[in-house]
Amino acid sequence: MFFNSFHFALFLPIVFMLYWFVGYKSKINQNYILILASYYFYSCWDWRFLFLLVFSTLLDYISAIQIEKSQTTTERKLWLWACITINLGFLGIFKYYNFFAQSFAEMAHSFGFTASPILLKLILPVGISFYTFHGLSYIIDIYYKRIKSERNFVDYSLFVSYFPLLVAGPIERATHLLPQLKIRRKFNFNKAQEGIYQIVWGLVKKVVIADSCSIYANEIFNHYTTLNSLSLILGSIYFAFQIYGDFSGYSDIALGASKLFGIDLLRNFNYPYFSRDIAEFWRRWHISLSSWFRDYLYIPLGGSKGNKLFQVRNTFLIFLVSGFWHGANWTYIAWGFINALYFLPLLLRNKNRKNIDDFKLGLNFDSFTTLANILMTFSLTCFAWIFFRAKTITDALLYIKRMLTNLHFNEEYFRIERYSHNLIPLVLFFVLVEWNNRHKIEPISGKYSWFKLSLCLAAIIALGVFSDYKEFIYFQF
Amino acid sequence: MKKFVVFLAKSLAILILTMVLLDVIYTIVYMQSNSRSKIDYLYNSKDKNYDVVFLGSSRVNNHFVPRIFNEQGYKTFNFGITRSRLEESALMLEMMLERNYKIKTLVLQVDLNINTNDHSEAIRSLFMPYLHSSKTIRDFYRTIPEYNQLLYIPFYRYMHYDSRIGFRELFYAAVHKRTNALENDGFHPLLTNKRPMVPADLSNYYPKRNKGYEEIKAICKKNHIQLVAMTTPMCTETINRDYFNHLNEVYPEIRRFENAVTKDEYFSSCGHMNKDGAVEFTKIVFKTLFKSQNTP
Repeated sequence: MFFNSFHFALFLPIVFMLYWFVGYKSKINQNYILILASYYFYSCWDWRFLFLLVFSTLLDYISAIQIEKSQTTTERKLWLWACITINLGFLGIFKYYNFFAQSFAEMAHSFGFTASPILLKLILPVGISFYTFHGLSYIIDIYYKRIKSERNFVDYSLFVSYFPLLVAGPIERATHLLPQLKIRRKFNFNKAQEGIYQIVWGLVKKVVIADSCSIYANEIFNHYTTLNSLSLILGSIYFAFQIYGDFSGYSDIALGASKLFGIDLLRNFNYPYFSRDIAEFWRRWHISLSSWFRDYLYIPLGGSKGNKLFQVRNTFLIFLVSGFWHGANWTYIAWGFINALYFLPLLLRNKNRKNIDDFKLGLNFDSFTTLANILMTFSLTCFAWIFFRAKTITDALLYIKRMLTNLHFNEEYFRIERYSHNLIPLVLFFVLVEWNNRHKIEPISGKYSWFKLSLCLAAIIALGVFSDYKEFIYFQF
Repeated sequence: MKKFVVFLAKSLAILILTMVLLDVIYTIVYMQSNSRSKIDYLYNSKDKNYDVVFLGSSRVNNHFVPRIFNEQGYKTFNFGITRSRLEESALMLEMMLERNYKIKTLVLQVDLNINTNDHSEAIRSLFMPYLHSSKTIRDFYRTIPEYNQLLYIPFYRYMHYDSRIGFRELFYAAVHKRTNALENDGFHPLLTNKRPMVPADLSNYYPKRNKGYEEIKAICKKNHIQLVAMTTPMCTETINRDYFNHLNEVYPEIRRFENAVTKDEYFSSCGHMNKDGAVEFTKIVFKTLFKSQNTP
């Protein structure tokens, strides 16, 4: 069941009505309804993986209580590491086993040995990367005594399996979400209205921007060997907007849907393509994952303490792990590595926290510099996206080589019966709308909201891609 | 909550109104377009008289040159559409009759397309703007699963088939941007030769009784149209040419022309002839099946 499906369009109102008209009297009823809805939502992909979800929930729930109960540090550590190992073990088997087995065989082959690894035919359980990290953050917070363990199994189960965030985040923190689940939610018109606006805007991003861009990006990346420099540059830009529209659109729908139940989720995107340097980009892109790695890996590793060499090591480690989190492919690792390289000059010059304030543009040199920096950061990001999108590292390198050496910039007519430049006006219009609303969560609220809502609905039905159904990219991670 | 229910009701009303409005706009634009495809041309034409009409897929669109017939005194038009299946050919024939066309002979390509009873989504979509205005189209699609949604939900048909009749196509139709579909009396020549030529593999092809073809036969019989069902050329490297023999086991009346042109130089790809091949083939078909009307 995808957020942009007819199935979800039926599911959400039914759950909404049950939640507010049947379960409104107590928090327990509300939570039971949400849990049942969440398990049903998850079982729509593959009911067998419900067992995995329940097991993961039970494991974290019991481990947290045991960590808290433990009398000695050794015992606490034992429970923590047992829980982390089992959680990551599942993730490793489902997501990374084949990658490691194949990479090992290739390495052995390069040394003249023959290895025939046993490969597993496993389906990757949807959302496993998200709910595993979700649970891990809880366990680690318990270990460091930042929070108390949750004794109510229903509340904890809902924290792990809450359907808006279950399959593609945002990766929530117990400190943020659990307190909201411990009290009865009262209906708030403004919040619910905001939720609807956010869902509508998320749908615009997904079905209008991301799915339109994906038609062009797929065509260009699948036939890059025959296309010219302009098409290849456009390919990387289209993919940049595809992945942004896809993932931030998904996050908007998730946050909006959650607001309908009176629950706030962590913001996941903050107009990342208007970042002035790569450090700012990573504070605005997939915020819940970036902050997860910062809090549970970077800081425990020493963070920005210690000498520069130490900091550089930590930075590279974070980016490589972050790339690898996305999938078992060298392309993601390369993508992480490139972003680490981008980050390096800022780190070495202590300028990685230079652009944390807001900015205003005017007719002066500073504004020109700001715009140039935004464009430069966007270009660097698009370049890195080539590795993320390409099937293999070789493909990515050949794509870049052709983009830099072909040097023909005339428009091309693709096999999909469209010109390479057809989508540019739509993308530019989208950028303009986002730019004008970059201080808001979504552009519909405020003045003339009815008019803007009508335009968005018209855009979804008239410009959306419906016949060539596209899944959300991040569901595969 | 009451306030929210009112808000939702208003939003829903806006959505429905938008869908109705867009449906009206799209339909008006498409009703006025007659230069984008053979289907919009067909819908917007009336009372045409043709001696010969060609129907089928790209293997008609790229293979029959009406000029050769026209020069011999026949009025002909190539209504072949790339990706079209026999189901769509049957509907086109029905539409021709609805538009009061007088047709003496129908040349129908029946070869690879009777391997399946399936339809072409890409071509079906082109009929959708006329769903409300053409009884023939409505009746034809009455049995398809999404018929009710397509007919009764405003704008659903344009969303469902957005890649073909969505905003892009609407824009081109509105500005009357012509395509080459109607040039050369409907013949679309292939000018490039793809080499090396990849042999067509018909190993998994089995001729079956075809609903669309049966329908066309019945329409022709009822309306006294002479039907010539025929195969069209494939390159000699084609794997499992025996398929064509099996074709006659199912439908003995199908005329065999798959070997009419064999030289590789006449083929753009294994299943499609180039312009020279099409001219050569049309001449052969004409000589075999027709007589010049210019000679006394």
